[in-house]
Amino acid sequence: MTNIIEVNQLTKKFKLKKNNSGLRSLFFPEYKNITAVDKITFNIKKGERVAFIGPNGAGKSTTIKMLSSILYPTSGTALIKGMIPWENRKKIAGDIGTVFGQRSQLWYNLPIQDSFALMGKIYNMDEIAFKRRLSRLVNLFEIRDLLSHPTRSLSLGQRMRCEIVASLLHKPQILFLDEPTIGLDVTAKEIIRNLIKKQALEEETTLLLTSHDTDDMEKVCERVIIINKGKIIFDDSLDRLKQSYLSKKYIEITTDAGDKIKKTVNTKDTPVKQALDEIVKKYHVTDITVENPPMEEIIKEIYKRD
Amino acid sequence: MFMADNFFKMLKLFLFVQKSNLKTAFLSKGDALANVIMMTINNLSFIFMWWVIFQNKGTINGWNFGDMALLFAVMNTAFATFALFARGVQQLPEFIDNGNLDNFLVSPRSSLFMVSISESTFANWGDYVTGFLMFFISGHVTFANFWLFILASLFAFIIMYSLRVILSALAFFASDTQRLGDNIFMAFLTFGSQPASIFTGWYKVVFLTIIPAGFLSLYPVEFIKGHSLQALLIMGIGSIIFFLLAVKIYQQGLKHYSSGNRFGVR
Repeated sequence: MTNIIEVNQLTKKFKLKKNNSGLRSLFFPEYKNITAVDKITFNIKKGERVAFIGPNGAGKSTTIKMLSSILYPTSGTALIKGMIPWENRKKIAGDIGTVFGQRSQLWYNLPIQDSFALMGKIYNMDEIAFKRRLSRLVNLFEIRDLLSHPTRSLSLGQRMRCEIVASLLHKPQILFLDEPTIGLDVTAKEIIRNLIKKQALEEETTLLLTSHDTDDMEKVCERVIIINKGKIIFDDSLDRLKQSYLSKKYIEITTDAGDKIKKTVNTKDTPVKQALDEIVKKYHVTDITVENPPMEEIIKEIYKRD
Repeated sequence: MFMADNFFKMLKLFLFVQKSNLKTAFLSKGDALANVIMMTINNLSFIFMWWVIFQNKGTINGWNFGDMALLFAVMNTAFATFALFARGVQQLPEFIDNGNLDNFLVSPRSSLFMVSISESTFANWGDYVTGFLMFFISGHVTFANFWLFILASLFAFIIMYSLRVILSALAFFASDTQRLGDNIFMAFLTFGSQPASIFTGWYKVVFLTIIPAGFLSLYPVEFIKGHSLQALLIMGIGSIIFFLLAVKIYQQGLKHYSSGNRFGVR
């Protein structure tokens, strides 16, 4: 299968002004270079679902912004369907969709359906094709009841579903999702993850999803790229990551006496189901959560083994 | 053929956005109409002050109240066009600082066009009311002059818009430029509201270049009143140069855009 995204030695440095006091800094400002992305190289095939994972400030969003033509790189190259994104902004716009978890592309005061209509006009969609596409996405993402509501009245989870629909209206082949589950509660996160995956499988959309939540990658993606301090430190299948670094699960239970008990399970020795059965037999459980190790721990583990 | 097709697509999008802007403004119809009326009264009270001055002085360096009325006609009409259809560019420094420019950059349309039409202030319909009213009381009303007034207002709008793009694009190169840009733009409007005849020598050079307020007052009045071909050429060429310069600076600025990734260094 051909590569739809090709990244070669991509680097982004930000020049930052030091906030020194005094008149000297006004006329002779001092700058400091911060390397946000440091010579990263990877390819993504059509239809692949790739998680771009790393802690805060690792360079995930900066990479996505270069690939989606928002930022110019300092050096290196990238190709989206054979075109350099920052030089072909308008040409590649029809092939990519973007969702930024912390930003909205919907009009704050207008009903959602008006924002969708505007997106249709921006992408110059034919009226009939637009209605057909909208109807399909509205059903898939279950947002029919929200269409007449203004964006300002939606919950974060509802808004995110609408944001994803807005980004998919023009049927992009590549979808960039930058922290799509940020700030959502557990239930809303689960809904969003399932919908993203379902849509990507149905339309063979290539996904590049950034997150610092390891559950996002586990539920949606098949391949994982881990980035830390601007450098790629892991690039392989999700199965390989699970075998190598995600063998631990943290289980937290609350008993009917109100006690909180934490257990760590090594899934290589004990399957999660077996561990849960044993816990339920032993305690009167009122609440239970199973979590992956946090990103920082996985990164530490990768460095330790290297 | 391709350019015409592209133009009509942009026009369709522009009209759709304007419809949405009107819809937003009419979420509170009473407020919207009251704002238009208040804007008109506000403009007229300022013009009344000039009327009193001219009643006492007669003329200022050869300018009479009819000339001032023509100036206000062009100025208000140009500003109404800016505020209603291109005001988003005034928000550009904020979009650059907080990273909201991202949404415009991933669009298949020109990001500058999308930014410009993203904001509209309904109250500025009051400037259209003032502009047309001033033309009709200027004493220069003829059928031909009406079209010259529309043309002069269009050139004045292009200069106004281009200057605002240049000032807003400063935010790509330095931080916290919103206030500086607002102050220079305000100075441009203030200079443009004075009788052009009071600016001579070096003041006149500044008046036509750094703060190009002469394009709001001097040339439009000369053009409409005296049917001056020279004034028309200066306005036409000046607005094209300013517009191309503005687009170039904006495009250069995009290369410096950091999408709100501001790191603090002590």
